[in-house]
Amino acid sequence: MSECLACQATIEGNWENCPLCGQELEQEAVTVQSNPYPPIPLRYNRKRVLSLLMIFTIIIGLLFLGIEEIWLDRNQGLKLAVLGIVSLWTVVYTLIRKRRNTAKSILYLLIIVSVISIYLDYSLEWNGWSTTYVIPVICIFADLALTISMKLIFSKVGDYILYLLIIVILGFFPALFLFLDWTTNPIPSILSSIISAIMFVVLFVSHRKIIMCEWEKRMQI
Amino acid sequence: MKRKTWVRLDNASNIFLAAMTNRDTKVFRLTAEMTSIVDPKLLQKALDKTYEQYLLYHSVLRRGVFWYYLVMSDLKPKVVAETLPPCSPLYHFDQKELLFRVIYQENRIHLEVFHVLSDGIGAMWFFEDLIKEYVYLRVHEIAENKWEKTPLQIEQQLEDSFNQHFRQEGQNTFSNAARSAFFSVVKTSKQAGKVVVKYSKKTSSWFGSSASIESNKKRVYQIKNKKTPDNRPRVVDLSVPLKETLQLAKEQQVSLTIYLIALFFESIRKAETNFKQTDTIAISVPVNLRQFYQSNSARNFFSTVLLEYTYSGEEEEFNHLCMSLSKQLHDHLEPERLSQRLSKLIKAEYHPIARISLRPFKDMILKLINRQNNRKVTVAMSNLGQFALPYPMNTYIKQVYFKTSAVRPQFCMISYEDSLTISFTSPFIDVAIQKEFSRFLSEAGLPVSIAVNQVTTAELGGESG
Repeated sequence: MSECLACQATIEGNWENCPLCGQELEQEAVTVQSNPYPPIPLRYNRKRVLSLLMIFTIIIGLLFLGIEEIWLDRNQGLKLAVLGIVSLWTVVYTLIRKRRNTAKSILYLLIIVSVISIYLDYSLEWNGWSTTYVIPVICIFADLALTISMKLIFSKVGDYILYLLIIVILGFFPALFLFLDWTTNPIPSILSSIISAIMFVVLFVSHRKIIMCEWEKRMQI
Repeated sequence: MKRKTWVRLDNASNIFLAAMTNRDTKVFRLTAEMTSIVDPKLLQKALDKTYEQYLLYHSVLRRGVFWYYLVMSDLKPKVVAETLPPCSPLYHFDQKELLFRVIYQENRIHLEVFHVLSDGIGAMWFFEDLIKEYVYLRVHEIAENKWEKTPLQIEQQLEDSFNQHFRQEGQNTFSNAARSAFFSVVKTSKQAGKVVVKYSKKTSSWFGSSASIESNKKRVYQIKNKKTPDNRPRVVDLSVPLKETLQLAKEQQVSLTIYLIALFFESIRKAETNFKQTDTIAISVPVNLRQFYQSNSARNFFSTVLLEYTYSGEEEEFNHLCMSLSKQLHDHLEPERLSQRLSKLIKAEYHPIARISLRPFKDMILKLINRQNNRKVTVAMSNLGQFALPYPMNTYIKQVYFKTSAVRPQFCMISYEDSLTISFTSPFIDVAIQKEFSRFLSEAGLPVSIAVNQVTTAELGGESG
């Protein structure tokens, strides 16, 4: 316990100077006193985090400009570098924000990667590699990976079942690419649609009650 | 049939989610300073027992397409040592976690609650029962080991007061316990044949501070300063004797709340270098609606009023400021204005457009409303009144504190026996306003005791994360 003569107040805790006015404190009788606020180290420093993010962004930008210069024949200007930076931070942000729900995280990544690949394909002279291979293949892998790992990650089916269903439904999208003739090789899209159809039926039959219950909770108006 | 174990969140609570940030976590803390070091094992036992009685506290928060909803969980709360800054976030998206925590540190027991779950009064019921249970266990243990008999008085008092609020009929299921307080008011008012709620009244504001601002021409002063590095709030606790402080308020012929608000205004005026002597200071004050409407709900049931004072630029009398604030509060608490306020809140609760809008859209609108409201407010305060325990339990507690996360400087007050604690929380490192406030009290002859938390690397002795 100490005393600030300027503030005319007793100061609790282990301060050497008054925390309000900065004056040196008069130490009172030496008694063991509880510390009302234990010293809790700073969790982070906003300023430092921001400057680190800026440095990373600049490095990534330069890296993309280098790749463009060395491997690509055309000069895309800053377009690819900006796309690289935006995609990187979108993915990082999604991973951090959705880190507590793996199913949601995979769903978001699936959508982001699909959109980025379509955009890349489009901006580098459209030849359909994104819709023929990238999207169907990542849909298949997302379906399979989720089915295998979900029970290990979540204890309750209700927590992930709807996200799993949405991911399975997204697996039907390559069928749309087939229909619109956006593909050069139909096999990946057909495979993705078949796997999704099987999974959809299995999921719906085995967890119908939970799906309906979750639907009711989440869709209540 | 299986009992319903989830209930959608009311609009009033949605505002907290929309306005929540890493800095303004919408978490508030109640602290009891005990006479001896806290025993974590006994505290855990006390918590387990109290938790059983409060179904609302079993809730976890989930996100739906149109609404957030509370789901009853089978999680068990664990008491933890203090390793996080005060009022650290309790709710994280996508994570199933309880919306409260019980912390111990030396001789202090803290209860932190996410505002979506309950307001200060509702949380105080839980806290009261937790502390009673802890004291009971503590005394009991001593009694078993050292004394021959347990004081009968303690047992009797415990039985009488235990869970008086929650064992009432109608709160024995999760959906009843978790139901919005506004719902219960609509129900009771309909039963009584009185329609308190005037649905037909046109209102432009949806929720938030319902006190209208008479003029927008005033420059409502906003405090700006350097913020703490890791979003933790700067806390300054002042402890003063209650009776002597009440006497000071009496001399000004106003209530204690108004007196302290007036002191806060004066402290801002004195401490802030950018303050122009013709600026307006506005303070947001919550009003507990349970005093006016019958409701046993522990959920949020309050409204806020805005009190303001525009300085004239000349030397002003402190009493004039006190009287002006007192009159404003009195006017706001008139039955008609209160019922208007309540009808606005209920209207928001049952508004059809609000119901069918998607949740992210609702969040966005509420965020905008909140931002707009923030421009009209300089500071905030909250008074929880008196915390009381029956004899001889009261002898085991020294003081009680109440504080909340802050987007702007604010103070919370609570009293226990003859001790009044005023806890300032602020997003800023600077404590000039708090210094002026403390000096006002000590110059008036009060013995002031101050506790401040450490928020910068320098204050923490070079430690950093």
